[in-house]
Amino acid sequence: MSGRARVRARGRARSPSPADAPSPTSVDISASEASSTGDFAGTSRISQTHGVSPGDARCPFIQRGGKGRRDFMDLDVCTREKLAHVRDCKTGSSGVPVKLVTNLFNLDLPQDWQLYQYHVTYVPDLESRRLRIALLYSHRELSNKAKAFDGVILFLTQKLEEKVTELSSETHRGGTVKMTITLTRELPASSSVCIQVFNIIFRKILKKLAMYQIGRNFYKPSEPVEIPQHKLSLWPGFAISVSRFESRLLFTADVSYKILRNETVLEFMTDLRQETTMSCFTQTCEKRLLGLIVLTRFLAFPRYNNKTYRIDDIDWSVKPTHTFQKQDGTEITYVDYYKQQYDITLSDLNQPVLVSLLKTKRNDNTEPRVAHLIPELCFLTGLTCQATSDFRLMKAVAEETRLSPLGRQQRLARLADDIQRNKDARFELETWGLHFGCQVSLTGRVLPSEKILMQDHICQPASAADWSKDMRNCKILSAQSLNKWLILCSNRAEYVTENFLHCLRRVGSCMGFNVDYPKIIKAQENPAAFFSAVQKHVDPDVQLVMCILPSNQKNYYDTIKNYLNSFCPVPSQCVLTRTLNKQGMMMSVATKIAMQMACKLGGELWAVEIPLKSLMVVGIDAYKDEVSKGMVVVGFVASINPGITRWFSRCILQRTATDVADCLKVFMTGALNKWYKHNHGLPARIIVYRNGVGDGQLKTLIEYEVPQLLSSVTEASANTSSKLSVIVVRKKCTLRFCMEMNRSLQNPPLGTVVDSEATRPDWYDFYLISQAACRGTVNPTYYNVIYDDNGLKPDHMQRLTFKLCHLYYNWPGLISIPAPCQYAHKLTFLVAQSIHKEPSLELANSLFYL
Amino acid sequence: MEEFQRSTVPRKNVIEFRPPLYKQRYFFVKDIVNQYKPKKVADLGCGNATLLCMLKFHSCVQELVGVDLLMDRLLDWNSDKLSPSIGDHLGPRDLDLSIVLYRGSAVEKDSRLLGFDLITCIELIEHLDSEDLAKFPEVVFGYFSPGMVVISTPNSDFNPLFPASTFRNSDHKFEWNQTQFQHWASNVAKLYSYTVEFTGVGVPPPWAKHVGYCTQIGIFKKKQPDPGSWILAKPTGSRVSEPEEHAYQVVFTASFPSLQQKHFLLFVLCTEVLKEVEAIRQKYVWIMKRKESSEPESEEDTDSGLVRRPGLFLTDAQVAQIEKSPKPYSVGKRFYVPLKRLIGYPKVNRLVADVSTLRTLLAEGIPMRLNRAHTSVQIDLDPYDYPHDYR
Repeated sequence: MSGRARVRARGRARSPSPADAPSPTSVDISASEASSTGDFAGTSRISQTHGVSPGDARCPFIQRGGKGRRDFMDLDVCTREKLAHVRDCKTGSSGVPVKLVTNLFNLDLPQDWQLYQYHVTYVPDLESRRLRIALLYSHRELSNKAKAFDGVILFLTQKLEEKVTELSSETHRGGTVKMTITLTRELPASSSVCIQVFNIIFRKILKKLAMYQIGRNFYKPSEPVEIPQHKLSLWPGFAISVSRFESRLLFTADVSYKILRNETVLEFMTDLRQETTMSCFTQTCEKRLLGLIVLTRFLAFPRYNNKTYRIDDIDWSVKPTHTFQKQDGTEITYVDYYKQQYDITLSDLNQPVLVSLLKTKRNDNTEPRVAHLIPELCFLTGLTCQATSDFRLMKAVAEETRLSPLGRQQRLARLADDIQRNKDARFELETWGLHFGCQVSLTGRVLPSEKILMQDHICQPASAADWSKDMRNCKILSAQSLNKWLILCSNRAEYVTENFLHCLRRVGSCMGFNVDYPKIIKAQENPAAFFSAVQKHVDPDVQLVMCILPSNQKNYYDTIKNYLNSFCPVPSQCVLTRTLNKQGMMMSVATKIAMQMACKLGGELWAVEIPLKSLMVVGIDAYKDEVSKGMVVVGFVASINPGITRWFSRCILQRTATDVADCLKVFMTGALNKWYKHNHGLPARIIVYRNGVGDGQLKTLIEYEVPQLLSSVTEASANTSSKLSVIVVRKKCTLRFCMEMNRSLQNPPLGTVVDSEATRPDWYDFYLISQAACRGTVNPTYYNVIYDDNGLKPDHMQRLTFKLCHLYYNWPGLISIPAPCQYAHKLTFLVAQSIHKEPSLELANSLFYL
Repeated sequence: MEEFQRSTVPRKNVIEFRPPLYKQRYFFVKDIVNQYKPKKVADLGCGNATLLCMLKFHSCVQELVGVDLLMDRLLDWNSDKLSPSIGDHLGPRDLDLSIVLYRGSAVEKDSRLLGFDLITCIELIEHLDSEDLAKFPEVVFGYFSPGMVVISTPNSDFNPLFPASTFRNSDHKFEWNQTQFQHWASNVAKLYSYTVEFTGVGVPPPWAKHVGYCTQIGIFKKKQPDPGSWILAKPTGSRVSEPEEHAYQVVFTASFPSLQQKHFLLFVLCTEVLKEVEAIRQKYVWIMKRKESSEPESEEDTDSGLVRRPGLFLTDAQVAQIEKSPKPYSVGKRFYVPLKRLIGYPKVNRLVADVSTLRTLLAEGIPMRLNRAHTSVQIDLDPYDYPHDYR
């Protein structure tokens, strides 16, 4: 998520929440205002702020900037109770049991453990949160008790003698303050408030282990991995949380790395100045820097330590030698200020200043304050798009951060050891009555492997991770013959193009895809020449255009794709000359491209056996547009035949701040019409896989997206409507599973399902490992069935999901999510990255975006 | 503390100071630190450690100590501010810095406060009762015996300008006028061989010049056999043989990353060297391309064109020195910058003094980036030369 998007997300969350909301969602009693509230670019976390209403007993919880946790909101959504067929049992049965080690730890509490919630008022009223806390904490009555306090709400594990306790404190500079502590609730350990308090306790504990909180995670600066050639520093750490799983309270810890950059904004600017001409320097600079998050110790208002700021603007007219007005009204130059305040001499007196809008703490309408930051004193954080597209940099980062299951386990064991050995950490746990237990092992199942159905052959792949070898010389299911098509290449690439064409036709005929000789057009080596050649030669009768691009300059690809996807809808295939020059790779490159081309013409490559005879599967994904911020691209891909080999793909750009889709009814109706046309009836069952859902959006999904789908389904037929299921797919989850093998740890086999212990009691959910990780630890995909009319047995639901992971035609092997989701993702990615507008409806029947 | 007064007692003062008086006091200490560059500084009665937070930025300070009776209750708020930040790890200080907070009293002896260059007691003495006040000089001047002491206290001559006729704070045991303070201070100075000068912050309004500063300050400097080198005055050697007294309780410690720690030096050095090499490479490639396109020679094509670049501030002498050193060169797809050249760049030179140290450190930090003879740093001439995919 980009910095801008994140701030929008914050802004959204700040919208007033009703004061009498029935279930308060988050508490924050972290001991310090000084801890970082900003997330870093590169993480996809969403932070939020909620209204503060101290003194209102009905809404007793305070959420402070950035610390409210949206996933807690999700946990309050109970979907399972509405699904009668899984109320008693949501576990599957098929497959071979496998013993798995998790990254979960037991947390034990005494049987009768309770949390007491108190409300604290002060007379005279004190505004300062620090003072409120300092006064209460210094009181003898409370000094030895386990407590958490945010200035208003106090949590204790031991009940005070009286329901209402009056305390008074002499402040050490005189004056008496009366504190009234009133019991408001007694909470059992299972309450969601307790879970939040546990999370606060563990945040405290990790701080005691000398870790830094950045965003939500904790990092250890004492053992950094440094990559000087990319100016990066990686801090190892953990994403942690305490949560109630199936039957128990468990602590989750997943290894995480924070990428910090050893590069100041000024250095970034001077580098850029060398690369670009003076005229477009300021423009390029703003384009690259605005929205980025920077980190600084030094600020015109030195209030926070580990604070991060977003660059909202660059003021080129202000120089460090200019003056600014301090809070007390006096004027001082930046140079003098930093010398005086921080003993720092600025080296570049011509640098501009960065402008950051400060978040206001309350919901008042006061003008936002701005912070002026000196580029020389600001470190960049996270990775920019340029950095993430730098193949060497990403490789270097991956090499350092990719941990084998064993390596990961060693880190976890050390964390557990630290928590148990550290005196302060142990003391903290003990005062709260918590016992940090052992790591959880559980039993999963490995689903039977699937056969791949080709045209005249059924193959049982040697490895489900990659069956390209097994498929060699097999005919694909169906392919349209390619008769009228164009190849566009530069003059220099003529020879290599001919060579490639020869290969393409040969592999094509092997797989049953007839490729005729195309018309070859030569163009000058520049994006404009390529584009005008496309414009000149492509007409609607052309089946496909292949472009052999001289470089991976984004211009070439974007302009061509843009034109051929919306203005003149013709499937297109872009290939880099460099790819075709690779020695000895020609055949495999040609095979892959031939398959992509066959799909783009509406062909079908392979299938798996689907026992349900009239089933439509749908994938939905949402992606933020790269260029027009504030736009979300929603992709919708539905199967239109019972074999699940043909697809209907729609995509829309939605002007909205959320990832929630608006247009699902139209899409669903379109897909049903298509299905009707091809199958002369409606599908009996529809299963929708929804990807790209952020934390805290579960409720919106149920209240807003599911009804859209349902209304389309019921309106489609007067008599019997199709049955609908909706499954939320999450690729990112903090849970990890490993298999013990030969006294070491390994990734579990493909097709491993976990549907107990690590799942949630209130949800119909399961984990599925459907992708191979050659190096590193595999990330299981998490499925949460939020709506289910179909009433399929959990076992069938799991197996069907697994089958669908075999059907992504861009990769002859298993992938991490069901194919329709991956198609939808690929489609939204193309639109958001390159074409920025809705592709033509004429292309909807083929996988034109592969 | 000030904050507390503001939030509980409605302010009746007609006289307002900008910046607020408490800030003026802290800035006064910062100025002292800037002027005398003490290495070890202690703040007695440090309260919520705001002054320490401000002093930790001074590059000369290597040891900061705060002492307060009521340390723990305020500690939670400032431990984060006193701990090294992420930025401190990314851009380490030149010199080590450790911060220690003690719970203890300014009238108790603790040997860990021996040997300080500066001890400050900001608005402290007026909170001492007569018994403690009597012990105070012996502990601070006699026992701790730092190079310099700064004591501030309210000036009661100023009080008539305030509407309230009482003490400025109910916990104050006394408020001295200028004569009283100066009398006490001069006696203390004489007894323990210090010089003292008086100043203050909070300038009185023009119509009441005679009342003096709102806060009066005494600056005590230890008398030296050789005046002018007072700051080097280490506390009396005889103390060392005395038994260790640990009356204070440690409540917080922090140690800052610095270039004195090899690990940080290595990382900063390697990063700076590679940044420099990359910048030189860019300029080198740019000049090569211009030569290829056979544009007319310009100043840019000379060696100083290769040395100078925006954002790099070099004196002419530095440029001349770099120009004299072996030139960067390329062989095939590799680009080389000799260490002898790199050492001329101020950002590298700041970290290591000579080529052999540079060589040793780079060999440890980025061995793959050194050429075989360990005389140059090598990188790819075109780092973006890598294959991409098709779609």
